[in-house]
Amino acid sequence: MFKKYRKKSPWILHYNAGSCNGCDIEILACLSPKYDLERFGVINTGNPKQSDIFLVTGPVTLRCRERLIELYTQMPEPKVVIAVGSCTSTGGVFRDMYNVENGLDRYLPVDVYIPGCAASPELIIDGVVKSLEILEQKTKEMEKPFQLFREASLDDGVVNRRNSALKVGEDDAKN
Amino acid sequence: MIEIVLILFAPVIGGFMYGFERVVRARMQNRQGPPLLQPFYDMYKLLNKQAFIVNPYHTILGIMHFVTLWVVVAFIILGQNFLYVIFLHLLSTIFIILAGFSVKSIYSHIGSNRELLAAIAYEPILIMLAVGFFLINETFSISAIRENSPSIIALFLLFLAYLMVIPIKLKKSPFDASEAHQEIVGGVEIEFSGLFFEFIYMAKWLEYVFVYALLMLFMGSNTVLGLALALFIFFVINLVDNSTARIKMTHLIKIVLSVGLTLGVVNLIGLSYV
Repeated sequence: MFKKYRKKSPWILHYNAGSCNGCDIEILACLSPKYDLERFGVINTGNPKQSDIFLVTGPVTLRCRERLIELYTQMPEPKVVIAVGSCTSTGGVFRDMYNVENGLDRYLPVDVYIPGCAASPELIIDGVVKSLEILEQKTKEMEKPFQLFREASLDDGVVNRRNSALKVGEDDAKN
Repeated sequence: MIEIVLILFAPVIGGFMYGFERVVRARMQNRQGPPLLQPFYDMYKLLNKQAFIVNPYHTILGIMHFVTLWVVVAFIILGQNFLYVIFLHLLSTIFIILAGFSVKSIYSHIGSNRELLAAIAYEPILIMLAVGFFLINETFSISAIRENSPSIIALFLLFLAYLMVIPIKLKKSPFDASEAHQEIVGGVEIEFSGLFFEFIYMAKWLEYVFVYALLMLFMGSNTVLGLALALFIFFVINLVDNSTARIKMTHLIKIVLSVGLTLGVVNLIGLSYV
């Protein structure tokens, strides 16, 4: 009954992974009176332990990788990662430079890519609203029961549990 | 009967006040703002989130903070002793401060330090408020204060001093250095997550009920006038919150202790001689 209210309160964690601040300014513009992301219940928390959406800007420089992973692991499930801007999606103009990794998806599983240099506020709002659907889907998946092992096989009358661990997603494919 | 209903629904009332405040603040900034039920959506979402426990004492102290605050609000509604209410409220603040010190996070420690300094700043004013009510009503009992006529004229300077306490307790600008959201990331609440953050969140709502219930005591037996006063102060606090910047902790203590304490002492001296 209450399940439709689940996606009404996304809290955002914003991290600058070596961005030129263009996308950061656009993200702040989204929270300003003109675009007003707060009408969807969005709060810019800045605290990884209480947030649902990880907004990353910038082409992931070598210096910021550790903190990026640490912030990601500190966020509780279910969580969604959004790559804001061309740099974060593909590397952009910094692609193949000596001090950057080409985009965020080398390190984290990205759910939504937002293009643009800098990404416009309209696109960011679209991306956040799209990520709400993914967040709801992920919440549903968390509740599903799943098997870790397949049934043990009988070899010559001996129960064999070797190789019985399921791979990720194998159980879903069977059902 | 009505008291029991009020006590049971005190967090819900606080939640509505918090939601209404977010709408009012958004409208003051010319935004549309979140829906009125937004705090409850937040609660429902937090219920489904994974919860990290940093250490058991941290979690339990967070829950104790919420429970003690609820007891404080219940005592106000039931009309118990004013002094008892103030000291029990201090105990609930001590719980959250201890919770902040029980983890290793530096932000949490800074938040706890600031919370403690803020408590030093506003606690004398609350105690002087109790003394002021005692001088007028000859008793510390809140139910007796509620039966008497409005005392806002006699306690006007203490009322002004109490107005400085409200932004500290509700973490509003200019006195929100103890929470300071983008600077020390929420202070003491930083390490709470999921289900356990809900208790801190609800404690925040109960803080609203506590502050405005104390404010209504200034109007004595006149409940309608009390509600009007609370609503008016609610708008004033939000207006000040929107139009001022955060000040440093040392400035907070200096301002609140010098101005607030002076106002309170002058009022008490006046009351005992007139």
